[in-house]
Amino acid sequence: MSFEDLMADFAAREKKALAMGGTEKLARRREQGLLNARERIDYLIDENSFLEEGMFGTSSVVPEDRDKTPSDGKVTGFAKVEGRPIAVASNDFTVKGASSSLTNMKKIGHVKRVATERGMPIVFMGESSGARMPDNMGSKGMGALLGNDPTQYVRMRETPWASAVLGPCYGSSAWYTCLSDFTVMRKGAVMAVASPQLASMAIGETVDPQELGGWELHAEITGLIDTFAETDEEALDLVRRFLSYMPSHNQETPPTAPVPAGSDEASETVIDILPESRKRVYDVRKILKVILDQDSFFELKARFGRVAVTGLARLDGRVVGVVANNPLVKGGALDAHACEKITRFLVMCDSFNIPLLMFVDTPGFIIGKEGERQRAAAKIMNFMTALQMFSMPKLSVIMRKTYGQAYLNMGGGRNSDEVLAWPTAEVSFMDPAFATRVVLWGRNEEDEPETFRKVREEMEKDGSVWDMASSFSVQHVIRPQETRRYLARLLEFHEDRRHGGIGRHALSNWPTGY
Amino acid sequence: MSRVEVKSEVTGTVWKIEMKVGDSVAEGDEIMILESMKMEIPAMAPEAGKIVEITVEESVPVEEGQVLAVIEA
Repeated sequence: MSFEDLMADFAAREKKALAMGGTEKLARRREQGLLNARERIDYLIDENSFLEEGMFGTSSVVPEDRDKTPSDGKVTGFAKVEGRPIAVASNDFTVKGASSSLTNMKKIGHVKRVATERGMPIVFMGESSGARMPDNMGSKGMGALLGNDPTQYVRMRETPWASAVLGPCYGSSAWYTCLSDFTVMRKGAVMAVASPQLASMAIGETVDPQELGGWELHAEITGLIDTFAETDEEALDLVRRFLSYMPSHNQETPPTAPVPAGSDEASETVIDILPESRKRVYDVRKILKVILDQDSFFELKARFGRVAVTGLARLDGRVVGVVANNPLVKGGALDAHACEKITRFLVMCDSFNIPLLMFVDTPGFIIGKEGERQRAAAKIMNFMTALQMFSMPKLSVIMRKTYGQAYLNMGGGRNSDEVLAWPTAEVSFMDPAFATRVVLWGRNEEDEPETFRKVREEMEKDGSVWDMASSFSVQHVIRPQETRRYLARLLEFHEDRRHGGIGRHALSNWPTGY
Repeated sequence: MSRVEVKSEVTGTVWKIEMKVGDSVAEGDEIMILESMKMEIPAMAPEAGKIVEITVEESVPVEEGQVLAVIEA
C-alpha cells in the first residue's frame, strides 16, 4: 500500500470509529436531549484535552461483530479537568448497548490500572446493558471473559472515583457505580442488578424501571447515589464540582481555593438562625452555609438519612468534610441510615486527606423496634469505629444538645482533636426529663410532684457547658458568631506537618456499601 | 394536579396546627407542629400547593408515617 492509500485507509478507520453506532441512533439520542458517549467526555473535560485509548478496538470475540463494534462500545482514555489529569470511561450505548466484552474490558482495565498507579481520579459514565451476548454465554464464554481480573472490584481508594448514571446501568456499570466515592444520577436513568425486562421474566410480572432502580429509590431509600440531576450536562457539572474538592490521589492534599468575599461577614449571622427556645428546631444547613466559605457547601445524600447532613465544603479556602445533626428532621435524633451515610462519608474524607468538622445538636439515637431491625446497634459501632480510626484533624462544635452514646459518635470527649461549644450547649447521658422517668420508674408525677422536681433538678445539674469547660472536657467555649474564625485557626494549628497533611488511610479498604 | 400526603416523621402528639384547609403552601412551609422527644417538630409541605385536607386535631397522638394533611400540588 502506498503512503497515500495508507493514510486514506487510516482516515476511513478513524471516521468509522468516531461514527459510533451510526447517524440514526445518534440522532435519536439528540432528539431525547441525551448526549452521546463522546459528547459527554467533551462536556466534562477541559477543551481538547482528551487522549483516547483504544479507539480502534472492536469486538475480538465474535468475528462478524468486528465491523459493527466501533471502539467496542466503550470510549476510554485520559483527559484534564481544571488542568488536572483524570481517566475516563464512557459507555457508548449506540454500540450493542455498550455491553461488556473482551476488548472493552481490557480497555477499562488499562485506564483503571494507569489511573491507580499514576494517581489520577477515574470518572465512569454509566449507561450499559450489562454483559454482551453471546460473547459471555456458555462455560467457554464465562471462562474466557469473566473473572480474569482478580483485582477488578478491589477498592483501596488510591484515587477518587466518580460515577454518573446517565442511562440504564446493569451489571458492571452498576458495580462501578456502587464502588465509586461519588455518584450522580440523571432523572430517568436506571441502576439495578439486572434490567426490568430480565427482572420481569424472572418473577413473571411487569417491573416498573423507576421502581426497580430510579433516582428516587436510590436517593431516598437505598442511599446508593449522592445526588441527582435533570440533564446529562447538569450531572457532569456535578462530577466536576465533586472533583474540585478532591486531591488527584491519596498521597496528595486537596486543592485550596480563594476565599469568597463576604464569607467572614456572613458568619456573624449564626446567632440569628439558632432559635432561642431549646425546644424549637432549625435547619442546620442554614447554619453551615454561613459558617463555611460562601457557596462552598456541597451536600451529599441530602435525601437519605436526613436526620444528619454530610457534605464537602471549604473553610478559609481549605477543603473540609462536614457532618452535622439536623434538628429539623426528627429533632436530629440519629438513625441507622444516618449512621451508614456518615460512616461512608468519614471513610471517603479520611482516604483523601480531608479534615472533619462536626456540628452537634442531637437528642441521641432513635430507639425502638424499627431501628433494632435495621441493625442500629451495629451501625452505631461502624460509625464509631470509622470515627476513631479517622486520622485527619477532627474538630467538633456542640451547638445545643448532645446525649449519651451520640455524644461520643459526634466527636465528644477525645473523639475529636478539639471540642468547641456554644454557651447553648447541653451535655449529659440522656435528656433530663427521660432520666427522671427512668430513675422514678413506675411512680407517678402527679402523686409525688416534689420528688419528681428534686430528681429532675439533680439530673439537670452539671449539664451546662461551663462545667465541661471547667474540667477541660471542652477546649473552647465560644460565641456562635466566632465559630468560623475559631475553626479556621484551629485547622491551621492542627495541620499534620510531620506527614505533609497525608492521613494513615486505615479505612481505605472499608466496603463501599455494607 | 396530584394529591400529596403530608406524613408525620415522628411518633408524638399534635401540638399546634398553624394552617387551615384552603391555605396555599410553598415547599418547606410549616403546616403544623408536633411534639416528640420533648421537641417541637414541624410537619412541612413536601411540595408547593394548596391544603385540601387536615386529618388530625390538636393534642391527638400520631404515629410515624401517619397522614396529617393532604396537599393538592
